[in-house]
Amino acid sequence: MTTTLPGFPPEQAIADIGEASVRFVVASELYPLEALYGASYVFIDRCYVLLDRADDKNYSVVLTRREAEADANQLRDLVGEFANELLSCAWRHKIAQENRAIIEATTIQAISGAMGPPSLDDLAALDFSEEPFDDPLGIAVSWEDKYTKKDDAKASKKGTSK
Amino acid sequence: MTQLRFRRDLYDGKSVDAAVKAFSGVASFDLTEDDAYWTVAVTATGEHSERDIVGELANAALALTIEGRA
Repeated sequence: MTTTLPGFPPEQAIADIGEASVRFVVASELYPLEALYGASYVFIDRCYVLLDRADDKNYSVVLTRREAEADANQLRDLVGEFANELLSCAWRHKIAQENRAIIEATTIQAISGAMGPPSLDDLAALDFSEEPFDDPLGIAVSWEDKYTKKDDAKASKKGTSK
Repeated sequence: MTQLRFRRDLYDGKSVDAAVKAFSGVASFDLTEDDAYWTVAVTATGEHSERDIVGELANAALALTIEGRA
C-alpha cells in the first residue's frame, strides 16, 4: 500500500508501508552524482539503498528499512534525514570543487615538508645549469660572469696601448 | 524470486558482479542486461530471507561502486 508522506509532495516522495520503503526523487541539477553517492554511502549501514533515474533530470532513490515493518513517520524521518545528508554532501562537493587548486597545493606542500630536508644526494642530483627564470635586466648574473669579462677587456686595452 | 535492477550509469558492472559473487552462498542469481540496466534475479536458497539478501546485495553493489570511484 503506497501513501504520501507528511511534508513531502506526492510527486517527490511515495512510501510503501507494507514494504517499509520510500521512493523519492532528487533533482540532478541541484545535487551532483558525487553528493548522491556520498549521502547513500552514509545510509547503507542504516537501511537498504537503491539508486535509479526517474527521468533525464531526476534521480530516484529507494530507501528500505532493514526492519520489515515501518510506519509513515519512520519513513518520513528516513527521507528527511537522507535529504539533509544529501544537502550536506552537495555543499561539501561544491566547496571542494571551488577550492580544488588550493587544497592540492596545500596538500603537496604538507607532504613535501613532511619528507624532511633534501639529502646531499638529492642536492647533488639537482640541475643548476638550466635558466630558472627570465632575467631581462641581467640581475641574476654571477659576480664572476659580470666582472671577469670587463677585467679581460681592460687588460687587453692596456697591452695594446703600450 | 525478486528482480533487482541496477542502472548502468549509476552502478559499476564489476561491482555488481562482485556483489553477486559475495552472496552466491545464500542465493542463486540470474543476470541479464539491456541498454540501461543490469538486472539480477535473486532467489534465496538458504535460511536468510530474500528481502534481506536483495537489500544487502543492493548495498554491496552500491558500496563497491562508490569505493571504486575514490
